[in-house]
Amino acid sequence: MEPLTGMGVLALMGAAATIAGASEDLESDVGSQSNPNSQVQLAPQMMYPHRIHSKAVSGEPPSNALMCAIGGTTASVLISTGASAVLALAIGAIVAAAIHGTYSITAYMGRSASQKRFKQPVYLDVIRSHTPVIMGYAFITTICILVVSYLMVTALAHPFPLPLLAFIWGITVGAIGSSTGDVHYGAERQFQNVEYGSGLNAANSGNIVRKAESGLRNGIDNSWFCAKFGGPVTGLAFGMTVFLSGWVTAVFDATKGDAIGWVSVIAGVIIVLMLILWNRNIEVAARAAYGPYKEDEAEAEVAA
Amino acid sequence: MIDIAGILMANIVYVILITLGGVLISWSVHFVPVGGAPAAMAQATGIGTGTVQLAAGAGLTGLVTAGAMMQITNNAALVLASGAVGAMIMMSVTMIVGTWVYAYGVGCPPASAKVKYDPITKDRQDLYVSQGTEGHGLPTVSYVSGVIGGALGGIGGSLVYYALMSINNGLALPDLVGMASVFAVGIFFVNAVIPSYNIGGTIEGFHDPKFKRFPKAVLASLIATFFCALISVLAIGGM
Repeated sequence: MEPLTGMGVLALMGAAATIAGASEDLESDVGSQSNPNSQVQLAPQMMYPHRIHSKAVSGEPPSNALMCAIGGTTASVLISTGASAVLALAIGAIVAAAIHGTYSITAYMGRSASQKRFKQPVYLDVIRSHTPVIMGYAFITTICILVVSYLMVTALAHPFPLPLLAFIWGITVGAIGSSTGDVHYGAERQFQNVEYGSGLNAANSGNIVRKAESGLRNGIDNSWFCAKFGGPVTGLAFGMTVFLSGWVTAVFDATKGDAIGWVSVIAGVIIVLMLILWNRNIEVAARAAYGPYKEDEAEAEVAA
Repeated sequence: MIDIAGILMANIVYVILITLGGVLISWSVHFVPVGGAPAAMAQATGIGTGTVQLAAGAGLTGLVTAGAMMQITNNAALVLASGAVGAMIMMSVTMIVGTWVYAYGVGCPPASAKVKYDPITKDRQDLYVSQGTEGHGLPTVSYVSGVIGGALGGIGGSLVYYALMSINNGLALPDLVGMASVFAVGIFFVNAVIPSYNIGGTIEGFHDPKFKRFPKAVLASLIATFFCALISVLAIGGM
């Protein structure tokens, strides 16, 4: 393939992946999926009933992989019957969003109902208002992942079938979302009542913020907050993963010989080394900005 | 009638390679610094997700790059290396963005609660662990450990895929790719789950005392992957 065409396809894939990452994280924030869900479930048990949606369908990677695999399978069946790709991908994403919406409702009803003894109400209006938002985000995530997978199969001639690629990218986007953006929701948004600048003291577990900027806090308020930082950086992370893992082979095209293939490997390793140095840089800056939290006992004794 | 013994003997090298790949995946998972739900609340060092989830995310990204490379070259070393690079990139990108969130979103420095000094940077750790937590974020040693874990997982996953693709069979190429990739994903998950019993939710990387438990998981993976290898070789070789 022409290098310029390859780069163009890759740029489009990176853009779609960035949107998929952002919407994946915001979808999990609306419904409190993944790890921060532990606090949402713990809160009523600590006598803090709340109005936050709680839908741990499963871990984020399996739930996104399910959505994307359903979308990918539907789309590839439709494409094989002669449907246009745009229509097939859109219908695949709609089916996936509908199934995800069903799971979200049953998960919310089940989890909230099981906490009746802690006086946690089941809010029917929360289901009515949150489910369309969850389905909307699920649709965006799925269609973007399907676009990435479809471009890989058709334009970059990747050997894996479309549903399998969609499944793998679903696992990856879920893994990235629960590793990055969820921390912003779990460690910051849920605990805005504790002082900024440290980790969460385990004694505060379950004491999540239940009042919103106006009225009682719900899942949509949480996605509003996380859309300012957690969501976009998750998008950047997934976009960077898709873009950089393809970029090294698009620039150093291994079809021209194994030697260039090895150069692509070296380019990848250099990128990783740069990221290690960047992490170290942030580590030094963060240590200076927030710490230390304790005094060195040996030094304190000497001073005394 | 399928000649089971014949197929197995003809592909015995691939059975061994698949088993080796599974063992590598199992070992790699111990390197990945995961803190589970406590890390998502900045209560434990590592990435705020589950072991299986992150290892699978990285390893399968490596599988995608290895699959692409395998189509254009027969050089096994290059396929494995590109699998390793794909997984390393996913892992290091996830960890750097995780660090952004810890440093700028949550406001806490990376700190390990398992060691007093970071073995790589020699930075003091215990003073930077905030009250009531088991550390937070990704200190350099955990980051490097994660990158090593990604590389090993990528190599393991690609090795399994490479071996499955090399089995003697009568399948058309798209069918072979479909079967081999699904088996590779399945074997990856088996070996990502086994070490999580060792890790029990949180591990900081190779400097964590839990890391020393890896031989048990590696042995369990050896046995489990061997059976997976027999079945996958029979399934693909019998076609």
